[in-house]
Amino acid sequence: MRSRGLMLLLVFSSQAFAFDLQQLSDQLAKPSVIHGSFIQEKHLRALPQPLTSKGTFVLAKDHGLLWLLKIPLQQDYRINAKGIARRDGSGWQMLPGKSAGAEQNRIFLAVLQGDSSGLQRDFELSLSGEAQNWKLTLTPRSMLLKQVFNQINIDGGELVQRIELLETQGDSTVLRMQDITSAAPLSDAEQHDFAE
Amino acid sequence: MTLPSERMLPRLFLTLLMAVLALAGWQWHDGAPLSANLMDLVPGTAPDALELKAEQRIQEPLNREMLVLVGHANRQQAIAMTKKLGEQWLASGVFEKVQWNLQADLPALRTQLLQGRLAMLSAADRQQLIEQPQAFIQQRVQALFDPFTGFSLVPSQDDWFGLTGRIQNSQPQHGSVQLDIGSGALVADADGKSWVLLRARTSGNAFDMQLPLKVAEQLLHSREEAARADVQLLAASGLLYAAHGQQQATREITWVGGGATLGILLLLLLAFRRLRVLLAFVPVLVGMLFGSVACVALFGHMHVMTLVLGSSLIGVAVDYPLHYLSKSWSLKPWHSWPALRLTLPGLTLSLATSCIGYLALAWTPFPALTQIAVFSAGGLLGAYLSAVCLLPALLKGTDLRPAQWPLRVAEFLLSVRQALLKRVRSSVLLVLVLAFCAGGLWHLTSKNDIRQWVGAPPQLMSEAQTIARITGYQPTSQFFLVRAANQQQLLERQKALGERLDLLVKQDKLKGYLALNQLVSMPSEQQQVREALNKLPAFWQPLLDLGIPVTALQAELAQLQALPVEDVAAALVGPLAEPWRPLWLGATDDGVAAMVSLQGLNDPALLRVQALDLPGVQLVDRLDDLNHVFAATQISAAELKLLSCVLIVLLLILPFGVGGALRLVALPLLAALCSLASLGWLGQPLTLFSVFGLLLVTAISVDYAILMREQIGGAAVSLLGTLLAAATTWLSFGLLAISSTPAVSNFGLSVSLGLAFSFILAPWARPSAHAAPVAEPAA
Repeated sequence: MRSRGLMLLLVFSSQAFAFDLQQLSDQLAKPSVIHGSFIQEKHLRALPQPLTSKGTFVLAKDHGLLWLLKIPLQQDYRINAKGIARRDGSGWQMLPGKSAGAEQNRIFLAVLQGDSSGLQRDFELSLSGEAQNWKLTLTPRSMLLKQVFNQINIDGGELVQRIELLETQGDSTVLRMQDITSAAPLSDAEQHDFAE
Repeated sequence: MTLPSERMLPRLFLTLLMAVLALAGWQWHDGAPLSANLMDLVPGTAPDALELKAEQRIQEPLNREMLVLVGHANRQQAIAMTKKLGEQWLASGVFEKVQWNLQADLPALRTQLLQGRLAMLSAADRQQLIEQPQAFIQQRVQALFDPFTGFSLVPSQDDWFGLTGRIQNSQPQHGSVQLDIGSGALVADADGKSWVLLRARTSGNAFDMQLPLKVAEQLLHSREEAARADVQLLAASGLLYAAHGQQQATREITWVGGGATLGILLLLLLAFRRLRVLLAFVPVLVGMLFGSVACVALFGHMHVMTLVLGSSLIGVAVDYPLHYLSKSWSLKPWHSWPALRLTLPGLTLSLATSCIGYLALAWTPFPALTQIAVFSAGGLLGAYLSAVCLLPALLKGTDLRPAQWPLRVAEFLLSVRQALLKRVRSSVLLVLVLAFCAGGLWHLTSKNDIRQWVGAPPQLMSEAQTIARITGYQPTSQFFLVRAANQQQLLERQKALGERLDLLVKQDKLKGYLALNQLVSMPSEQQQVREALNKLPAFWQPLLDLGIPVTALQAELAQLQALPVEDVAAALVGPLAEPWRPLWLGATDDGVAAMVSLQGLNDPALLRVQALDLPGVQLVDRLDDLNHVFAATQISAAELKLLSCVLIVLLLILPFGVGGALRLVALPLLAALCSLASLGWLGQPLTLFSVFGLLLVTAISVDYAILMREQIGGAAVSLLGTLLAAATTWLSFGLLAISSTPAVSNFGLSVSLGLAFSFILAPWARPSAHAAPVAEPAA
């Protein structure tokens, strides 16, 4: 009897104090605009060095994501509810909505925005750590996703800091977000980019 | 009163009846020899085997598959319901394959993409590789950094030049259906709901009469179950139309057959006031038996449509006993055998003229009408034989005392006619009638369309349209057949056609099309790609700058050079080729052939033009061909009608002389003309079926004219006989007018009109009283 009482206490206390998915969602959904820079490393099995690229990003809760690749080549992307667009000389060009690609981008957006309900459909989620230092592991549920990803690991504090995609083929991608700030609102140019 | 031969006849006839019954038993011993396939009814226009094979390929999914959309505002609930229904359907045994989620075989996809790197590259990508290799490499570098290109099925180190990614991205989108990556379901979003695609393929053969009904029943259950969870189902399948057609045919046979039977029995009872007179229905039953046995003996099966139209035979068959039953108003006392003897010549003439009328239908190129003709001619012969050989024996000793009111009705009608003739002379009336006809014919429009054969239920139609709108799948029955000496030429010809179709797509006249050249390029193009790849080392420095070892690129190049030229058969093996697989017809006697299928056609007239001056390209448009056959048949039907009239005149010259015969045939023709005019005044179109109806009415109404000319037992009794005959016939044909199949109801309407006019005009069959009396035929 005593041991059972002790166990109950433990269960209750862990439920009461653990950092849970809902709290994570709330925390990530709080800022309406986030600015930051990123470093992307693509580790290909056949290459000794990763393919590294750098740039900045703007994540706006109500608008979507601007992803501005600067190095080694310049290329701007925009993801929102309508799909994914790429900027060329004449403005934003919507990319044809390839079904699988569109889904992947939806997942990407869900990861950045901490939309755990959207992710729970396709992945087993396991969260550890605390509000200022947490780690979320996504394991694919469906046969289709399992054939593409082994796992997705997301680390963060106040906001998302690192995303790691482990592909079944042995390649992996690591995205690191730096200098993240939720202080500045959207600039006129950014608003224009989202609106167009 | 009974001759010795008349004692023998019933026995002889019963022996014949037994034989026919035995034959019927043998015909039905392993199931009803019935068919409900619409295509059995229409003329075979496809002249060669290849076209036929192609047509069957296009038709097959329509006749065996069902496409269902499962819709709910919540995508997960829609998917869950789809999964549940899919499992139930598979367990039901009705379907051999039920598919709702994509079990993508990624290893097979990878193999196909790698093997097809030379052959499956799109025209635009090929052009860039050949003409702008620098830009080609630049795009590849970009793609390697692009986080959003979507996952590539083939890892980068197996395809440094990114050819598989380009192939993957250039695959034509099939409608607006998207893959739900979590469940593998195919989902389309529309009208505030998520619609999950569910495909089911039936087991068993398409000629199983029960299959469509089973499918429709299964769907109905599923609809109810889904509705309880607030989920909506939309379904489209040729099977559902077939099921609807069968249910409708059953319903109509019941209504037309049952209604006509009840009406005729009631009429017999009211007029003759003896229960035994109901035996007059025996010839009807015997007629049905003979008709169906003849039909199955000749064609191996009988179409349900034949049964629907054939059920109208009831009204014609009962006319034979009426011929002598109606003599009970003048023959007192009435005895069956003497009454028969008196009317036998008229009866026999009536059989001959009716058979000529029905058999004229048999010479049209329509299997449907040939069947009806054989059914009816066989049926009439059976009815005649039983009326002549058996029925008098059954009615022997019956003391008929018919009601007097029908006679008074006939007398009243005659007095009305007399009164009219006193004021207006017949010739004036004729002019008036002809004026009525001229005016009506002026308004008459002609319309021929295969769709008249199908009573298209609006709910099925609108569901199919909704599915087409939501998914973008709009298969059309038209397609192009492309023939060539070899594969290179075949793909060249498809490309030439494709360029024209692309224009139509751009103009929004066509949603899309599938052609093999979209999947695999010509051998010569594959060679061009190979040569262009050989020049890449001069441009691949940007790839080397990323750190990709030059040995890796060289190895890949060597591998690409070693890829064999892919032919159509090889290209069709992988999972990506699934939509194209049915299009390939393979080797023919003089080369190879394939189809180009179409989606969402808005303007069929434009299609015919596309194939002009393209060698080896042929448009196959069965519906349009059929509509042309319909229009052509309408003309040949009119010719047949005139021919049958000539035959009837020849037949009637013997008993009535040339003048009499012409007069007897002129009246039904005038009645037919009046019916045509009425259709015009009523705003009803003239169709092939109304022409057939009138063809028939001419044959039947010659009978009325003969009755009125002979006037055995006086004018009033003869008119009464005509009235009874017309009423019973009208009861069965007129009821066809309520059919929801436009063809059948059109047929019923024109026969009804024709009967009414034949009855009104029949008294003129006898030259007016002041003319010299014509010698009565031997009675």
